[in-house]
Amino acid sequence: MDTVLTSLPIAGASCAHCGLPAPRGDRFCCAGCETVYHALADGGLTGYYALADREARAAHTTDRSYAELDDAAFAKRHVRARADGLCETSLYLEDVRCGACVWLVERVPRLVDGVRDVRVDLGRGRADVVYDARTAPLSTVARAIDRLGHPVHPYRGVDRDLQRRREDRALLLKIAIAGAAAGNVMLMAAAIYAGVDGAMAIFFRWAAMIVAVPALTYAATPFWRGAIASLRAGRLHLDLPISIGIAAGLAWGVHDVLANRGEPYFDSLGMLVFLLLSARWLQARQARRAASAAEIVHALTPSRARRVAGSSMQDVPIEAIAIGDLIEARAGETIAVDGVIDTGASAVDAGLLTGEPRPVDVGPGDTVAAGAVNLAAPIRIRTTAAGEDTRVGRLAARLGELTATRPRITQLVDRIASRFVVVVLIAAAATIALWWHTGPEHAVSHAMALLVVTCPCALALATPLTFGIAIGRAARREILIKSHDALERLAARSTIVLDKTGTVTEGRMRVDGWLGADVAKDCAAVLERASVHPLARAIAADRPDAIGIATDVREDTGRGIAGRIDGVAVAVGSPRWIAARAELAEPIAEAIEHAAGQGATPVVVAIDGRACAVARLVDPIRKDARASIDHLRALGHDVELLSGDDPRVVAQVGAALGLPHDRCRGGATPEDKLAHVQALAAKTRTIMVGDGVNDAAALAAATAGIAVHGGAEASIDAADVFLRAPGLAPVVTVVDGARRSLATVRRCLRFSLAYNLTMGTLAIAGVVHPLLAAALMPASSLTVLACAARSRAFR
Amino acid sequence: MNVLYLILPLALVIVGGAVVAFAWSVRDGQLDDLDTPPRRMLDD
Repeated sequence: MDTVLTSLPIAGASCAHCGLPAPRGDRFCCAGCETVYHALADGGLTGYYALADREARAAHTTDRSYAELDDAAFAKRHVRARADGLCETSLYLEDVRCGACVWLVERVPRLVDGVRDVRVDLGRGRADVVYDARTAPLSTVARAIDRLGHPVHPYRGVDRDLQRRREDRALLLKIAIAGAAAGNVMLMAAAIYAGVDGAMAIFFRWAAMIVAVPALTYAATPFWRGAIASLRAGRLHLDLPISIGIAAGLAWGVHDVLANRGEPYFDSLGMLVFLLLSARWLQARQARRAASAAEIVHALTPSRARRVAGSSMQDVPIEAIAIGDLIEARAGETIAVDGVIDTGASAVDAGLLTGEPRPVDVGPGDTVAAGAVNLAAPIRIRTTAAGEDTRVGRLAARLGELTATRPRITQLVDRIASRFVVVVLIAAAATIALWWHTGPEHAVSHAMALLVVTCPCALALATPLTFGIAIGRAARREILIKSHDALERLAARSTIVLDKTGTVTEGRMRVDGWLGADVAKDCAAVLERASVHPLARAIAADRPDAIGIATDVREDTGRGIAGRIDGVAVAVGSPRWIAARAELAEPIAEAIEHAAGQGATPVVVAIDGRACAVARLVDPIRKDARASIDHLRALGHDVELLSGDDPRVVAQVGAALGLPHDRCRGGATPEDKLAHVQALAAKTRTIMVGDGVNDAAALAAATAGIAVHGGAEASIDAADVFLRAPGLAPVVTVVDGARRSLATVRRCLRFSLAYNLTMGTLAIAGVVHPLLAAALMPASSLTVLACAARSRAFR
Repeated sequence: MNVLYLILPLALVIVGGAVVAFAWSVRDGQLDDLDTPPRRMLDD
């Protein structure tokens, strides 16, 4: 192994795996890198180092057993048995970010006997694993991948992926057929336009018809379907005029060929179908990338729990947990079930559920909910509800139905389309009436020409192209827009409802102010370093330079901590806990009162039996919140604050942000939030911005929902937009980008309507020639393409 | 010019072959993931 090490390019004391500075005398910066390095060296995979982007990034491994992956309940849901006796499953891997990671993970079959094949999808972080369950249980495979620096999670949403894949494949095939037909028919049309005559002209016309009619009839299926659906629903959709144009063109082309005169329109039609399908594919691809990126976050939620069985413990998938089971949650873990605490005392952060950022202290007999994070010490929980029966599960189950009943806005193009159909049909009838005197055949020919040239190709391209490009650009700025019509729903002036905790504020406690001498602050910081309680961490982080060594430390979980520093007794804790141990002087008691009255959390420091300092802890407002909210209001949006937290705190945060008092509501349960947003959305366009499970229903019920960075998976599921960058500034970017995108769409639409008006007038006048149509129809589409690409949205 | 009567159908047969080949590649899943394979090729 040493030979391998020395052959590596190591500069000074940098980590042999990731290149970060390593402690003196060490080859690695952390245990994770060391594990990964040895796993690579043992497997003969040091070729990785030649491939890896040497950007500093410490490896991250866990020492989990992954035993839960071998459970029957897991296998039933996630593992597919193949005909040849092997098993196949999909896993989500963390930290897959470059070609070297792909190379490495795909070499797992060399490391583990029984693994036949691993295929990695870089964009999704998904690995498809084929393995022999008899020689290599899934837990072995997962452990091997984990040791390479990629912790493993079950990949949920495989069904959705399969469905999308089928749709994508069907669309690609149609694009290919339309493209092949269009290209070849265009060559034949070129010959006709160039002036071949006699038998050769007839031959070319027939050949064009034989290629174009079946190919285009098949390739245009999405438009036929859309048109029929829109007729059934009684709502006119852009697919209808497109279908009428294509059908009229095909029918009249066949008539011309059979009658052996005039020039067929097949070449223009082929181009049109090809362009329309391509634009749809582009849009679908961009939106899907964003959607699957959001689902990856979904896959990261805890899928296992530690079940206590007698004196031993077992990792089991959450599907296998029954009511009455005893579950253990260690510090830092997310609680997987609803239940009552059996043994242990700790503090839990239920902020994502309640909107309250302060940790809640719990002990035996207290109830805890799935989704809350256990902060301080291990607890054992007696399960009262698991899986979909938990409060979170029931909320999530309602999301689907809420999203389906989301107030729909008629899309701009559809509004135009409904009038467009009527105008074009009336114009066609008028053309027939106008030319009837020259003979019915001639009149119908002019009307058909009208229907073909006014086929709203450019009109239909405008929205998918503009939105497709905008969604792609937004994704590069860490803004994931999941559905293509969300941009239009976000574009108008709206009431923007902001959740407080985690959205406007950071969702984490920080020290806001002190009363007392510096020496007391330093003592508190030194002592609190020994605790994992979030309030303790905040105090320790406030004074990182404090020097001292604490001895005799005793922690009373969730209440306080006591010890000795340089021989002096120091205690830090909640006012009530300190009051039982030390005397509270008048200024201290006043400061406690004052802090509590403002919704801050006071923590008291006592030295040598006398309370001598008070820290005020608050959940600080994000730095960019004030500027972002001012910007939103300047754009004409009405901004509201809605929170589950104490009304006093909400009022204070609202005042700091410059919001009027009647725009701030506190103490709202998830049900209140839903009712409020539903009532608002019925009246006006409403955009909900939130992060927690308690916001999820409201996110789904609003005209458009935006889930912010660090949110719960249920909120990401429910929202149309998911922000991967922290802060409120991306919300401004989204709203502003949506407005710009819609402005671009409007510009494109104006242009294409002008084109249709010109061509329509020419057709009614009877002077439109198929060659002119063949030249202008692609030209108008290209102009729309240029117009969409020039858009300044999300630049 | 009469050779066109032969060449045009021949050209169409070739086009048909190309479409069938494309359809096969789509069904085979070769166009499902357009990001990973270019890197995989460089690494091997």
